[in-house]
Amino acid sequence: MARDRTNPISVILVSSGSRGNKLLFRYPFQCKTKQQTASTGRRNRFAIVSGGEVEEQEGDCSESCLLTDEHLVSGFSDTILATILAPKSELCGKKFELKVDDVRFVGHATLLQHENSSQACKADPSPKREVPTMILFNVVFALRAHADPSLIGYVHTLSRRLALALRREEWRCQYLTREAKVMLAAQDEMGAHDGESPFQDVLPKSKLARDLKEIYDNLCSTGLVQLYINNWLEVSFCLPHKVHKVESGHVSPESISRSLRNIRPYHALLLLGECKSLLSELPPDVSPALSRLIKITTPMKTLQQLALDSDLALAQVCQLASHLVYWGKANIIFPLCESNVYMLSSTADTYVYSANAENFSQQFPGHDLPSMLAEFSLPTPLVEHRNPLANPDQQAQLVHMVVWLLQRRLLIQLHTYVCLMVPDADESDATSGTVCRPPVFLECGLSTQEARATSVPNTLPVGSPSSGDDLTLASPVTEVTSAEASSAEFGLGGEDSPVGAGAYENPLSVLTEHERRCILAVPAAQNQDDLRLFTRLLPYFCGRQHLEDVMYHENVRRSQLLTLLDKFRGVLAIRTHEDPALPALHCLPS
Amino acid sequence: MKQPPQSESPQDEVPEDYLSRELFDMVHVYIITKPELQNKLITVTALDKKLVGCPVCIEHKKYSRNALLFNLGMVCDAKTKTCSLEPLVKKLAGYLKTLELENGFVSNESSKQQLPKLMEVLLKEINESGKCTLPIDNSNTINLKVIEHRRTPATVQEYEVPVFTQCWDYDASQWDLTTQQILPCIDGFRHLRKISDEADVELNLVRIAVQNLLYYGVVAIVPIFQYSNVYCATPRLQLLAEDASLQDECLTYITKPGYRKATLRAAFLLYSSLSPGTTVRDLCCRHAPHLQHIDERKLVQFGLMKGFIRRLHKIPLKLPAEGRGKISRWFNGCHCYDEICCKKGLSYKELEEKTEHDPGIIIFWK
Repeated sequence: MARDRTNPISVILVSSGSRGNKLLFRYPFQCKTKQQTASTGRRNRFAIVSGGEVEEQEGDCSESCLLTDEHLVSGFSDTILATILAPKSELCGKKFELKVDDVRFVGHATLLQHENSSQACKADPSPKREVPTMILFNVVFALRAHADPSLIGYVHTLSRRLALALRREEWRCQYLTREAKVMLAAQDEMGAHDGESPFQDVLPKSKLARDLKEIYDNLCSTGLVQLYINNWLEVSFCLPHKVHKVESGHVSPESISRSLRNIRPYHALLLLGECKSLLSELPPDVSPALSRLIKITTPMKTLQQLALDSDLALAQVCQLASHLVYWGKANIIFPLCESNVYMLSSTADTYVYSANAENFSQQFPGHDLPSMLAEFSLPTPLVEHRNPLANPDQQAQLVHMVVWLLQRRLLIQLHTYVCLMVPDADESDATSGTVCRPPVFLECGLSTQEARATSVPNTLPVGSPSSGDDLTLASPVTEVTSAEASSAEFGLGGEDSPVGAGAYENPLSVLTEHERRCILAVPAAQNQDDLRLFTRLLPYFCGRQHLEDVMYHENVRRSQLLTLLDKFRGVLAIRTHEDPALPALHCLPS
Repeated sequence: MKQPPQSESPQDEVPEDYLSRELFDMVHVYIITKPELQNKLITVTALDKKLVGCPVCIEHKKYSRNALLFNLGMVCDAKTKTCSLEPLVKKLAGYLKTLELENGFVSNESSKQQLPKLMEVLLKEINESGKCTLPIDNSNTINLKVIEHRRTPATVQEYEVPVFTQCWDYDASQWDLTTQQILPCIDGFRHLRKISDEADVELNLVRIAVQNLLYYGVVAIVPIFQYSNVYCATPRLQLLAEDASLQDECLTYITKPGYRKATLRAAFLLYSSLSPGTTVRDLCCRHAPHLQHIDERKLVQFGLMKGFIRRLHKIPLKLPAEGRGKISRWFNGCHCYDEICCKKGLSYKELEEKTEHDPGIIIFWK
């Protein structure tokens, strides 16, 4: 198995004090005999420097990667690491980043101010505690220089959190000084022996050493760090590059944050694992609201409905949901309903004996994954996958299978987007067709609506969508307050807007004369109701909002909407693709 | 840039006093380093500045303290990406070491005076044009160039097609012989194997040449065009609706020469109509009027290059008989029609006949 580039090479703890710079602990450690000294002495100038070029092609021998890693950091002796990783005090309190050839060291050097202990000494003439001599310390992670640059920020965050916790404990009970003493004593003892690394001996004696080892191991495997420094202060951290790992690809940290920004009340929460196992993973001091939410959550219900069912505020539910997504325990999807259209994801592994295939057959005996995936090759609404002659159990099983596929990002959901695009003005006119003006619509239209609907900036418009077909709003946000929707109205700008808010002009006023004429030329425009509805929905026809969004905000049934789109198809351009607002649902190929 | 020799203070700085004493004190341990770190590229960030250097140590009895340590480094803004400067620093360190070993260039009092001037030239020319020529003396000149660091592209398959990203006005003499031979064959429709046949160049050499062009962004890779292909729209299609210059570029590209310029609505409609289940042939039938003045091949090509549409590959899978039976080499769910046709020398029709008549084969589109 090829070594992951996002794995740290090593974790190192150094300190600087009255007795100079010391390397307290490093992991992984090598046997002393195997330790290679750095490039001192003569070397054949024609020899290929191993450990130099790390930018190898995929498919290279994984063994060489492993050797390279050890080589990379084992080349640095303890003393040299202590010198370079314990910086001057002026460089403390901020991100520490040092690159030496192919290794990047990232840390957060922290000063230990002796205020508390010196005050205690003054108060008590006979000091019971010994005066600490450590001035600063640094928890440093060694990464490969060519690793993903976004990794640096995250690793630095971890280093900083550890530094804060350690400093706290040092002030409280000199935890760090005690641990440092143990570590250095073990190193001195083992100094005489050959063959075994002194750090091997430190592990059973020092809790901090064991913690650092655990952090390293976890960063390399699950990407989740959750431990208690000195059995007291919690440090928790998750590395998005590992936590959101998918079978056949990866999800970038940016897609996660983007998806979190775009949560809406009509979205649903999809747990990525079993409910029971998730509950057992939660720490003991978890908020009861979170456990309640996890117990009642189902991909068929919207966050809005979950809020009502669990008796929590919508904002809180959204926050808890974001938390679960951030930690890789859940994903935000559009709730499962009959009209959803799913398609096979382009990164899905279709190999006949893929790992997913085995799991699927175990989970759903009698079915095989390839056949199921092939069914979704051509996107059709979920209702058409149902066999009308099947019994209710089989119907339910279909839903379970779709949920299973969504959890593993094997399916993507397609949405329909509408864009206003009128035909050309003149047949012989060489100019291109009209340009959409989405920014204006979007800025005016929706922000006004949302502002009207809410009083608190963080809350979202209230509504309770029940089924995919009928996303109704409890209290309609918009009203049609304009007078008779006649063709004359179109010509006038600045009148009562169809949306009712005087905050912005009639959306039709931003259209050109030509666009207005084209719209009115459509036969359906003669019908008052149709025209009124069209005008009301015009702000959404900029290609940035899918039909479900329109249905939710405007209290329109799907059938109504589709009929309208059909009638006005002469001036509209309709397309179908995945939702760009939820990139966390799609993975990029690895 | 500065260059501090034995004494722990910057000897020469260009521009003068760019580095504060404070900053230098903080980072001097990374500039004049312990012997273990010599010849390593060291980049340290401090006080909003990034320093890239390569310390050199030469041991010899003739020096006071028996060793000469020096480091010619570059100082940049902390946010700069300095990977492309690293080879420069390394090369300079190597040159200066050689010059010192041969002529005592660095330690000699008189020749040392040249250094600030050289550094000035270096700073100016690198900042202006990214390359620099430093004449040291009658027999020595240092040539330096900043090479932009790019991502290594994925391997190009023999059934994929290179297409020029722009109308390049290339000077043939700038490229190697292989590339010169294949350049005329790159038309956005020929795939690698075809180029190899027509240009009479071995396939792997073509692949290497094309990958080189891909690395420098001269070409992009698109799938083979066939009327049986299926494509689908991506969210990037929204860009076509919003960006006026992109619209212009698109319509100019896809209009058949000699015809009236295509309308945006027509282009958009065509792109939107490309969906799973619809082949390009179907599209042509359904929208014949629009396609009177639009070249569908160019339409698809432009859409692929800009990411408006993506290709849906057809992948056959033969389900094994009961249990873990033997799986077919080509029909194991990992190879698309393009690959199978190319590698087995079959036409699309021939492969289609094989798969249609076998009930055990299922088809994926992804």
